[in-house]
Amino acid sequence: MRLRRLTLQNFRNIAMAELSFAGRQQFFVGPNGQGKTNLLEAVGFVTALRSFRTADTRLLLAQGQREAAIACDFEHEVQGATKLVIRLHGEGKEVACDGERVTRLADHLGRFPTVVFSSQDQQLIRGAPALRRRWLDLTLAGTDPVYLHGLQNYHRALAGRNQLLKRQAATAELAAFEQPLGAAAAALVAARRRGVAALAPHVAAGYAQISAGAETADITYAEDSAPGDGDAAAWHAHFARTRARDLQFRGTMSGPHRDDIDLRVGARAARDFGSEGQQRSLVLALRLAQVSHVRECTGIEPVLLADDVLGELDPTRRRRFWAALGEARQVLATGTELPDAELGAWDVFRVAGGGFAAEAGP
Amino acid sequence: MTPAFEKLQQALKQLPGVGYRSAERMALHLLVEKPAQLPALVAALESAARTVRRCSRCGNLAEGELCNLCEDARRDGAVVCVVEHVPDLVAMERSGAYRGVYHVLHGRLSPIQGVGPADINFAALEARVRSGEVRELILALSNDVEGEATCHFITQHLAAETAAGGAPIKVSRIGFGLPSGGGVLYADAVTLKSALDGRRDYV
Repeated sequence: MRLRRLTLQNFRNIAMAELSFAGRQQFFVGPNGQGKTNLLEAVGFVTALRSFRTADTRLLLAQGQREAAIACDFEHEVQGATKLVIRLHGEGKEVACDGERVTRLADHLGRFPTVVFSSQDQQLIRGAPALRRRWLDLTLAGTDPVYLHGLQNYHRALAGRNQLLKRQAATAELAAFEQPLGAAAAALVAARRRGVAALAPHVAAGYAQISAGAETADITYAEDSAPGDGDAAAWHAHFARTRARDLQFRGTMSGPHRDDIDLRVGARAARDFGSEGQQRSLVLALRLAQVSHVRECTGIEPVLLADDVLGELDPTRRRRFWAALGEARQVLATGTELPDAELGAWDVFRVAGGGFAAEAGP
Repeated sequence: MTPAFEKLQQALKQLPGVGYRSAERMALHLLVEKPAQLPALVAALESAARTVRRCSRCGNLAEGELCNLCEDARRDGAVVCVVEHVPDLVAMERSGAYRGVYHVLHGRLSPIQGVGPADINFAALEARVRSGEVRELILALSNDVEGEATCHFITQHLAAETAAGGAPIKVSRIGFGLPSGGGVLYADAVTLKSALDGRRDYV
């Protein structure tokens, strides 16, 4: 997929911008606070109709404005030339694809993939398990509506059981909600295990390309609890068994919502033993694996959004990372300084005060 | 606007599916544009409020003690289809495919919305089953987490009961899958998965 034209209106600090992208890589350069990340945020929004920075859509409207718009012209592997228009207002969002209104999120998800590389990404390794689960869930749900549905079912059943635990409800009512919860837990864990197994070779390959070191990277799914055969009946029995304890804690203390993803470099936990450089390489490898996974599942090459990541890498890693991206993908990158000439020819845009000025090509 | 008008608009706004603007339109229509319709509406409301109530057996709309379905001697009173709401019953009836009777729960278990077994029409179903009049239960509840939990709750409570004569009660849940006349192509992924999971032997 290639983004050929981007029009933004009243999006954060960007009052109006109309940009055309001829080449494969675009670089947005300028001091901090001028609108570079806002532009990437707008492009990233098309994927799942959510921002990678905030859950509150209202924050995306320019101050004092009631409506914002994102319009994209794509060259698309599956759909050919496609025009996507998204309107944001206080109450929600409207999406039109080639003039036709999109009414179901499930119809939209996965059709316009982007992958964000952000300077915040190291939290994936250092932060809480919830961040890693979220990364996995977004990666898998982005290509698989059945996964998204299963994940929503699990959280709905979990919210039901937790509410009953809080209220110290009768056994029969709890048991009734443990039935769908058990089925959803079994399906979710199985899908996540399959997903991690599919991602693992991509992570290892990406890491090897970037680090060129002797050690290897590995990711595995780490279950908080793994009852019996892990089927619906085993999970159902697990929740029945833990009911008395959970009633005391007034919440479901075990299950897939407590699972984690083990990230290892050279067979040691990356979070505890990885050097700064190893962690940086691993996090890029995770994002690259996401890119490969999307292409494998959908046949669509995602657009890469690199938010201020190039500047943080040492020259060797930067060169290797760039080589790992391959020749096929479009990259939109930001930074406070222009990248080295060795990273190829860029369409350069100077960013100032929410405005974008294309620089004449070389 | 006058205080009485605003009071009417507020009352209309409480109705399901009616917002502030629609309520205003309805109130204007009734009071100013077509006031001739008003007495008929008031009379219909009063008469319905006086006569319409829940069927004491199944929870369907009724004007007497029992609804017309429960009173219909041609229907099989031993087969009971459990639905969430009256419109679900109406939809089943429209299909014309069902000759048993119904039980309307007027809701389903939903802890998040604070709905428990005492808040739905479940005790009456339990009483019907305990009386031995029921041979078969067909659960026609929605295909989601709350629907499934409610099915499980009903089954747990009533599966051990027997029909008059001592035979165990048969409990089934309606199938989920492709709409009739609909091809595989236009079904969404989640529906297709439902249809696959619910596939049957074909001979």
